[in-house]
Amino acid sequence: MLAIINARVYTGTGQVLPEAAILASEGRIVAVGPEVRIPPEAAVIDARGNPVTPGLVEAHGHVGLANEGVGAEGDDVNERIDPVTPHARALDGIHARDRGFEDFLQGGITTVQVKPGSANIFGGSMTAVKTRRLPTVDAMVVRENTGMKAALGENPKRAHGAEKDRAPYTRMGSAAIMREWLFRAGEYRRKREAGEKGADYDARLDALQPVVRGKVPLRIHCHRADDMLTAVRIAEEFDIPYTLEHASQGFKIAEYLAHRGVSCAVGPSMSREAKVELEGVGFETAVAFARHGVPYCLTTDHPVIRALYLHMIAGIASASGVGDAGALAAVTLSAARHIGIDDRVGSLEEGKDADLVLWSGDPLDGRSRALSVIVDGEIAYEES
Amino acid sequence: MLAITNARLHPVSSPAGRGGLLIEDGRILEVGDIRVPETAEVIDARGRPVTPGIIEAHCHAGLSEEGIGWEGNDGNERSDPMTPHVRAIDGANPEDKAFRFFREAGITASQLTPGSANIIGGEQLVAKSVETVFIDEMVVLRPSGMKAALGENPKRVYGASRGPATRMGNAAVMRKWLTRARRYAEKSNAQDPPDFDMVLAALLPVVRGEIPLRIHCHRADDIRTALRIADEYALDISLEHVTQGHLVADLLAERAVPCAVGPSMVHEAKVEMRGNGFENVARMHRAGVRMCLTNDHPVVHGRNLPAAAGMLQAAGVSFDDALESITRAAAEHVGLGERIGSLEPGKDADVVVWSGDPLDARSFCDVTLIDGLVVYRREESGC
Amino acid sequence: MRAYIGARIYPVDAPPFDDGVMLVDDGHIQEVGADVRVPDGVETVDLSGRVVIPGMVDAHSHAGMWGDGEGDASRDGNERPGPIAADVDAVDSVNPHHRSFASCREGGVTSVMIHPGSGNAIGGLCFAAKTRGEIVDDMVIRAPTGLKGALGENPKRGSGKDSPKTRMGTAALIRDYFARAAEYGRKKDADKDPDPDAGFENALRVLRGEIPFRVHAHRADDIVTATRLCEALDIRYNIEHCTDGYLLAEFLGHRELTAHVGPGLSSRGKVEVANRDERNAALLHAAGVRVCLVTDHPFLDVRYLMAYGGVAHKHGLPFDATLRALTLTPAESIGIADRVGSLAKGKDADFLVLAGEPFRYRSPILSTFVEGEEVYTRQQP
Repeated sequence: MLAIINARVYTGTGQVLPEAAILASEGRIVAVGPEVRIPPEAAVIDARGNPVTPGLVEAHGHVGLANEGVGAEGDDVNERIDPVTPHARALDGIHARDRGFEDFLQGGITTVQVKPGSANIFGGSMTAVKTRRLPTVDAMVVRENTGMKAALGENPKRAHGAEKDRAPYTRMGSAAIMREWLFRAGEYRRKREAGEKGADYDARLDALQPVVRGKVPLRIHCHRADDMLTAVRIAEEFDIPYTLEHASQGFKIAEYLAHRGVSCAVGPSMSREAKVELEGVGFETAVAFARHGVPYCLTTDHPVIRALYLHMIAGIASASGVGDAGALAAVTLSAARHIGIDDRVGSLEEGKDADLVLWSGDPLDGRSRALSVIVDGEIAYEES
Repeated sequence: MLAITNARLHPVSSPAGRGGLLIEDGRILEVGDIRVPETAEVIDARGRPVTPGIIEAHCHAGLSEEGIGWEGNDGNERSDPMTPHVRAIDGANPEDKAFRFFREAGITASQLTPGSANIIGGEQLVAKSVETVFIDEMVVLRPSGMKAALGENPKRVYGASRGPATRMGNAAVMRKWLTRARRYAEKSNAQDPPDFDMVLAALLPVVRGEIPLRIHCHRADDIRTALRIADEYALDISLEHVTQGHLVADLLAERAVPCAVGPSMVHEAKVEMRGNGFENVARMHRAGVRMCLTNDHPVVHGRNLPAAAGMLQAAGVSFDDALESITRAAAEHVGLGERIGSLEPGKDADVVVWSGDPLDARSFCDVTLIDGLVVYRREESGC
Repeated sequence: MRAYIGARIYPVDAPPFDDGVMLVDDGHIQEVGADVRVPDGVETVDLSGRVVIPGMVDAHSHAGMWGDGEGDASRDGNERPGPIAADVDAVDSVNPHHRSFASCREGGVTSVMIHPGSGNAIGGLCFAAKTRGEIVDDMVIRAPTGLKGALGENPKRGSGKDSPKTRMGTAALIRDYFARAAEYGRKKDADKDPDPDAGFENALRVLRGEIPFRVHAHRADDIVTATRLCEALDIRYNIEHCTDGYLLAEFLGHRELTAHVGPGLSSRGKVEVANRDERNAALLHAAGVRVCLVTDHPFLDVRYLMAYGGVAHKHGLPFDATLRALTLTPAESIGIADRVGSLAKGKDADFLVLAGEPFRYRSPILSTFVEGEEVYTRQQP
């Protein structure tokens, strides 16, 4: 049992409790509020008036796949053998000892959705994990399959067309490959359900089944507005659940996206404009989404921007016009919703996982430090 | 309601003369002697020429973007000589600067087409040049055709690797897939339909004659190969470029095959373009070939299409016919002859007011209307 | 003349003061202080509640040279497959209309030193420029301001037939270049009329002490190699990036070196930056190294230089030192402190108006001034 007392508690649901306590037991939150009774056997952390927030949630990261500082040997982000690799699983590539996880804990992030990269039209399935250091990645898993990575725009045509001299070379080609495989996956499903011939086991079509059955979303990397619209066009043609990842030029089509209610993982907003398709990247998209009511979260795309700075990015988004409450939600509850695990993480509510962060000051201020990070009711990090 | 008054009208579908246009709900209501209702907004043309919006019938705008390079180059899906299943709509960027230049030059519609690297290159569409980030808001017809190519380009791209490496190879690949598509179509109607095949499925509307196969060909023998294959498979086709069409002009005229001719402003950039020039285009016209003019934007920028028509006029074609070659004839070529290309009641109000003779390169496009809305005004642009 | 009144002013070379007055005329600071009298009839700008600091100086930037969404066509930072490109001058690769300069102004950077890239062992000449202008020559504050060199991974990646394959190979190339340049110089001095060689001429500028050698080095051993090479040649030099510097803090502090630390807020992608640590600037400063915080734009988007300052401060760099590391220290390192880097009488009127105290996310840059002209104004959200 663990209690944090004398805290300024940001519940993540929009409430700020100026003087409150949180009690956790068996990895779950059992009480939050100004008048929580602390049992004598509980270990107590005195927050001394400092802020406590839910553990931050990073909806789009490559930690464990893009092992830092070890060169090509530790690069397990993109399975470049083919533009269609839905049967690759992020879980099989995550190195639990990647030092990148240090960044997450130091930055107060307790959950991350780890994704394959964007070189492929279908890049593989992704996994949500806690950032607490455990010997095996399997022990860190929140949900094993939280979506299928897909990509449009420059990256697939660079990784395959330009570098390997094979499809796709163009945006039209990328779209055609995406359609073809979604169609085939649908046919595979129909035939296998009907017991028809001609649908022998196929690893790639099998891996796409959760998508065509509507169980997990296709999470489509897209930066430019027209790529985002191609993503919407295809997803609607096949009537599959989907999210947009990066959505850098979303500010141009915010109203359209709001109308559809599609969730977008926005970022890395601090990124340099390394590619043509990143033209205009900045905080306008977060602001436009907040204004028009597009469901969105903020992401670092770690290691593109280090996860360490997620709370600071939320601060810049706040100052850019999103506001404090919206900015905090964008790195907690909205991110959990984006991943589809808001039943467990993203806010400080009874019954949810006891993932929380004690900060040295305003959590949106880049100068504030995470003093203690608690994951599943255990202290996972303490500032030395 | 909008009225354009005091115009020198060039309706294309009827003789030129003084008059006006009445526009409502994006359509042309009246042409000529109009009665201007008091409530109508008025654009006084002050005697300036007014024409239908110019149409670029063969264009790569949005797919081969201006001033960007590799990242904005989405025109040729060079992964295979047979890619009918790719679609221009998935590659065309409405934010390509070209569309702004089009509005500024009175180019109100264009057929966006995949490139000519592939024997069959993908699905085409016709777009209006409106300012938007949504390609769907630009589209007036989709699919408007299926791109195909003969001659040098496919063999240059594939000759060294998988082929085709020769003109006979080009024809063989085209035949092979049309044959397979025809079989696929037959089987699709039968009891036990074949497994889904995206490439063949994309060819169904072609072999069923529902959309034209638009075949890139320059040299006279490539033109004849296109016609030969079209006959064998009973295809609806159009010919694109048709540089040496003057050598087979009578045949083309007799068969009334639609030809988008150009880009005639460039030099003989390739061997297959020998004879490129407006004199030969004028010969085709005199022979009665059913043709429109194209700049193959961005090979020659689409905004220079009126100047190209002016050069056709200089080569001996009448003003009216030269204007028609970039308006009504182009509309008919892309399959929208009922909707755009002339100033007639019921047609889309795509209209241009010019500072002077529209085919004179020294004239400016002063006002551009698309669907009855002013999308460009020179006085506001500070030109 | 114009008078800016009411703000809290950080001159950087003097203690801060409240309710300050700064008189600006003809692009220069005429007076700055708490007790300055505003002459009659002078237009005043009320900055009460605001904070004024000098325009920031970014000592390592590639503004105008590549990036910012322009793709391959605008990549003009690394000349030829390598390894020696000593004859090139960054001035000739910079496009003033490139959007990165607008980003500089938005990010509060009013002066930059623009470097060639680090793909070559010798990369070419650096120069200092203001971030406003249409013609690069009009933007120049001083040129050249250094010769670029590189150690570590980048020059090894070169595809030239003479490109080095090892770290010792890179060091050997640099030694050889300077040795041959010295020989060339001796021939010239002896009137032996050697064939003109622009690359050797640039080496002579370094060897004669006219400009420093600015050496890209991340890993600790590369930093040490830089000191070994430069001290043997007895030339002025500084370390660019200095990522592992904190591991050698005492060694470097002893030498009173200048380190251009950055790009800030960046990841540990390459092996040579595996030890990147946010405390680097703080630990170097504590050991006596002169620290500049740099963006290496576009590697850190220059719009976020102030945020980088905040993070360095968070990790132990004292407030005053952080402010100095973004202004006066880089100006000194570049050799342009006579004109920029602090708010003092006679200096260029390059300054920023902040909504509040520096390094807070709630204190964004409201305006950027270059030589008295407002070149950026924040749009209110």
